[in-house]
Order: sequence, then structure tokens, then C-alpha cells
Amino acid sequence: MRIFLYVLCVIMANFLQGQTCCSGGVPLSNNLGLANEGAKILQIGINYDYNGLNTLFTGSDKLDDDSRKRLTHSFLWNTAYNFSERWSAEILLSWVNQSREITQFGQTNITETSGLGDVVLLGKYTIPELFTPSQSLSIGTGVKLPVGRSDLKTADGIQLTADLQPGSGAWDLIGYLTYTTTGFRPSATLSTAVLYRFTGTNNSYLDNTSTYEFGNVVQGILGYTEQIEVGNILLNPGIVLKYRHADPDKINELVFPNTGGEWFFLRPEVSIFIAPDIQLRSQFELPIYSKVDGTQLTSTARFTVGMLFQFNPKTIPVTQS
Amino acid sequence: MKKKVLLLFVLAALYACSSSETEVRQQSIPIINDSNTNEPPAPSDDSWSIPISEVLDGGPGRDGIPALIDPEFTSVDEAQIIKDEDLVLGIKKGDDVRAYSHIVLDWHEIINDDVSGTAVAVTYCPLTGTGIGWNRSVNGPATTFGVSGLLYQTNLIPFDRATNSNWSQILNEAVNGPLIGTKAKLVLPLIETDWQTWKRLYPETRIISLNTGFGRPYGVYPYLDYKTNHDAFLFPVPLDDRLPAKERVLALVYENQARVYRFSDFAAGDIIRDTFHGKQVLVAGNPNFIVAFDISGPMSDLQFTYAYSGSEVILTDNEGNEWNIFGEAVNGPRQGEQLQPARSFMAYWFSIPAFYATTIYKP
Repeated sequence: MRIFLYVLCVIMANFLQGQTCCSGGVPLSNNLGLANEGAKILQIGINYDYNGLNTLFTGSDKLDDDSRKRLTHSFLWNTAYNFSERWSAEILLSWVNQSREITQFGQTNITETSGLGDVVLLGKYTIPELFTPSQSLSIGTGVKLPVGRSDLKTADGIQLTADLQPGSGAWDLIGYLTYTTTGFRPSATLSTAVLYRFTGTNNSYLDNTSTYEFGNVVQGILGYTEQIEVGNILLNPGIVLKYRHADPDKINELVFPNTGGEWFFLRPEVSIFIAPDIQLRSQFELPIYSKVDGTQLTSTARFTVGMLFQFNPKTIPVTQS
Repeated sequence: MKKKVLLLFVLAALYACSSSETEVRQQSIPIINDSNTNEPPAPSDDSWSIPISEVLDGGPGRDGIPALIDPEFTSVDEAQIIKDEDLVLGIKKGDDVRAYSHIVLDWHEIINDDVSGTAVAVTYCPLTGTGIGWNRSVNGPATTFGVSGLLYQTNLIPFDRATNSNWSQILNEAVNGPLIGTKAKLVLPLIETDWQTWKRLYPETRIISLNTGFGRPYGVYPYLDYKTNHDAFLFPVPLDDRLPAKERVLALVYENQARVYRFSDFAAGDIIRDTFHGKQVLVAGNPNFIVAFDISGPMSDLQFTYAYSGSEVILTDNEGNEWNIFGEAVNGPRQGEQLQPARSFMAYWFSIPAFYATTIYKP
């Protein structure tokens, strides 16, 4: 059951991506979607996420230009509470640091922003035994609250564009569906998931002169995970194929050029149980196919490391007041 | 153990986020041992002569759109990708005739060149459709201009590498930095027309090569339908509905005033004599180009006639002179003389009233 739940957790990890496809964005929900591991259980995940973009593409062609770099460093904290074996809720907080770096003509110019990012609230319903005990289905829906700043300016007072802001300035709706099975081999898990993010509009963009909407996102993954034991340590190595499609962004309801596209990623990952209720988790994601709208800086590499803690009330001693 | 590990991670997270105040930081770092390095001095004054609230970060960042320096050129026969209907900016100094194509300028916006000894920056803003030539010698040796990544009224803000001053392209003036208030010396005229017309005018022209040293999809317009969709704007700008926003016009500018001429004024090829700011102006055009000259002074008595028939000559006069599109007398008793180019440039209509008190020429 543990590997089954772990995989479900990994499916949702990294599932909800940043606010834009053409920038570092904010991997706001990098660790969203913790698996329901039983009633009354509290889970806390802490993650660091690195997203590097320094590959310039036009359509599906890579251009010979490595002068630009967009980096996003995110620290994410998510907390989930399972009300029952089926119902659970989750909140994700983030702090984001983004930089735009251009090296040309003997000069490197860096613009960097940082701050609290947007917040995601998610409600989930899980069917632990869908058709057989080895199959599970989970559905969820949530909302992203525009808590992060979306109006940052330089010291001179020059307002920065949307993709350098810690927040999107818009409410988003999120829906997802995951299916996991362990039926074909005891130590292996096959999983698939689909997510749709319906983005809202920032109506106060550029000092209330414009509106801006990041493109809607649909994402699908197919993952395979094995469980192996090395000494006394339990390892869960896996491989995930991820597809992502992002609609172009819109400014004042018109398409913003050079945004949107579709990507396939391959993501090796591993989880280590360093204690019965503590997981050390890592993922490394590489694009294997990119087709962007127009010409864009696009994803080059990404990795996430973090820990997941689980607090089971059955193991917490009760104290008298 | 779990509590200890969790505590450790909480502390690490808190430390990492210890500067959790929202902040923005900018810095420029010169690269040591780079042959191109000429470390610019920091601006001595952070003030701007234009409203800073209307200066916006365009997205790519400083030098994110790389200007070209000392580019290669090629002949008409060797020109690649460019179509007959594609626009070019043409310049002529003596026998040195050069074309700078929009298909390259769309991706670089500024080309730093030397044309027969004149240090020229051909600046082009794809968002305002403005192509303007500047002399790169500003208060001293020639500098080069780069793309700051900033926009004012959705128009290009170049910066000079000698002083790091920021300039407004349409105002032709430094608006921030040590050179604030300094006017750019315009390189006039800079002719904007289609490639077919240009190469008929000057078959011996050279055109900027696509071998720029940068990987870009030349020939692909980067802004979707921006140049033809009158409602499409990427950044806020005041609009004036007297004309369609993206209609290409010729703008005469003087101090804070402008007058624009439309292609429809020259539907069959024609000349217009007009007065602007007390100066007599001759504007000649057809559906493919419009060019303006200041004919105040000794040229004011000449009676000009539109004469373009596909060759270099576009005007004749009552003295028997023939004049080319640069206002040079190429035949006749005044051969070698030149009409004074008017301070003018081509632009999308919306961009002119955003900067100047603008009148539209009416016959």
C-alpha cells in the first residue's frame, strides 16, 4: 500500500506548473496533491524547486543562442489533512525568486525579483479501491489565490512584465484526475493523470491600464515506479513521461505573441524512506520535445528536492492538560 | 527523529526565505577579458525627462534583443528570404547604397553601421513601425547603441554604450542618464519602401546579410498580426482615432509638433507643397514610398513635377533638373546640389500623436 500511495503522491508532485510556459514562472504547486494515506493523518511537504530556461526555440527548432537565461528558485510548503480515507484538503504556500540574465556584448545584465507567491487550496476525493483493491482513482479541484505581488517595479519605478512577477494577479481554477494501479506486479506501479488549469485574468496589470491572462494549461503524465530495498532502506525509483500544452497568454484579450506551446518531458525520480514517516524525494526533468508558439526561451532543465513528513495521530502520545 | 528533521527543514526554509520581503534587484556585470568589453559608466543621474510611470519593461531585458554591430552585406542577387513586398530602410552616401530589411530589424531593432565614413545607427521599433537613422557620434567619438528592453509609449528606448544613457527613439533624444536632454543627429533621409521598389531604384544596392551571427528565424514576423490589426497592442498607449492605428504615415516633426502625410494622398504618384512651422515643404510619394524635403531658401522657386517611372529619378523641375529620392540633382544645371531633407520618418499613425501634437495633411 505504501508504494501505491507514494506513487499517487508523486503523480501530483510537479503536476501543477508555473504560471507561464515561456518563463521560469512559479512552480507554485510543485508539491501539490499529496496522497490520502488514511483518516486523520497530517502531511507536510517541504520542497526546493529549480527551473532553468536558457534554450531558445522557434517552433520546434532550437536556435543557436545561449545568451539569455531565466531561472526560478522556489521554496514550497504544503500541508494536507485527510478528514477520512476519501476526503482531504491541502494548502500550498510558496516563496519565489526569479532572475532574468542576459549576457551580450561583454556585459551581463540581471534583473531579479523575489517574494511570496500565490497560494493554492485544493479539495480531493479518493476512491481507494476503484474496481479492485490495487486500483485507485482520485479527483480534485481547487483554486489559486492571487496572494503574490504582480505589480513589482524596479528601483527606478519601471514596472516589470507579468512573467517576472511572483504572483499572477488572477484567480485560477484547477481540476485533476489520477488513476493508479499496482495490479500487474506487486513491486511496480503504473499511473496516469490529467490536469486542467483554467486561468483567470489579472485586471490590474500595468497600473490598471491593461488586463493579462496566462494561457490555460492541460497536462498529462504516465509514470512507472518500482520499489526496491537496498540494505534497510526502501527506494522508489521511477520514470515519468509528461505532456504539457499551454495556450498563449492574452493581453487585453488578444494573444500575446511568443507564448504558449507544447512539450514532452522525461522525468527520472527517486524517493527514499529515511524513516517510516519521512521521505526524501528528488526529481530531475528534461524536455525531450518542445514546440513553442513563435520564438521563446524554453525549459532546459528542472529539478526538485524535498521531504515529506507524515503525522499519524495513532502514533502521537496524548497528553493531559 | 522526525521532529528533528522537520525542525531542520523548517529552519532551512525560514533561512532561505529570510529576505521574504518582496524585492527587485538589477545589476550589470562587465565580463572581464572580453575583447568587446567597454565598461560603461553608471548613469550619473537617475532622473528621467519622460514620465517614468509610462516607461515599461518590454520583457526581453537589456540586450535581450541584440543590436547588430558592423554587419555584413550582400548583393541583390545573393539576398535570401526577403520578398519583394518586404519593407527595407534605405540609405545612400555617394555611391554607397545600403538597405536594412525589416525582416532583420524585426529581430534586432538597431543596426550599428558605418556608411562611407558616417557612423550610423539604424533604429527600428516593430511596435511603432518607426525607422529612424541616428548619427552615432554624440559629443565625441562614435558610440554604439543597444536595445534597453524598455519601452515608452510602446516605442523603442535605445541606450548608448558610451554613457549608458537611455534615449527615446521617436523623440530622438536622451531621456535618462548623463546625456539627458541631448538630441540625436538624424541621418536623413532614411527611405522606407518595399524591396522591389528599392532594388529598382538602386539595382547596385547592398542589403544586410542574414549572416548576423545570431540565430533568428528571419522572414518570420515575431508579432503575429500586430502590424495589420489596428486593435492589437502589447502595451498601453494613448490612441487617436482620427486614422486607423496601424496605418503607415510619413511624419514631419519639429519641436513638439508633427504633421503626417498618408499614402492615400499620393495614390497615383504626386507631389505636395505644404508649409509646416513656417517652412516650405515638398512631399513626394506614391503607393510605395513618401519622402519630404525642406525647400525653403534658394530651392523655393523651383517648380517640381513628379516623374518617377521606376528609375532613380523621382522629380523634375522647370530648370530641367532631375532629382532622386534622396533629393540629389542627378542631371541638369543643378547636378551635384541636394534638397534639404525634412526631419521626417515613417511610422504607424498611433505613435505620432502619442508623442507630438499632430495635424494630418488635408489637400
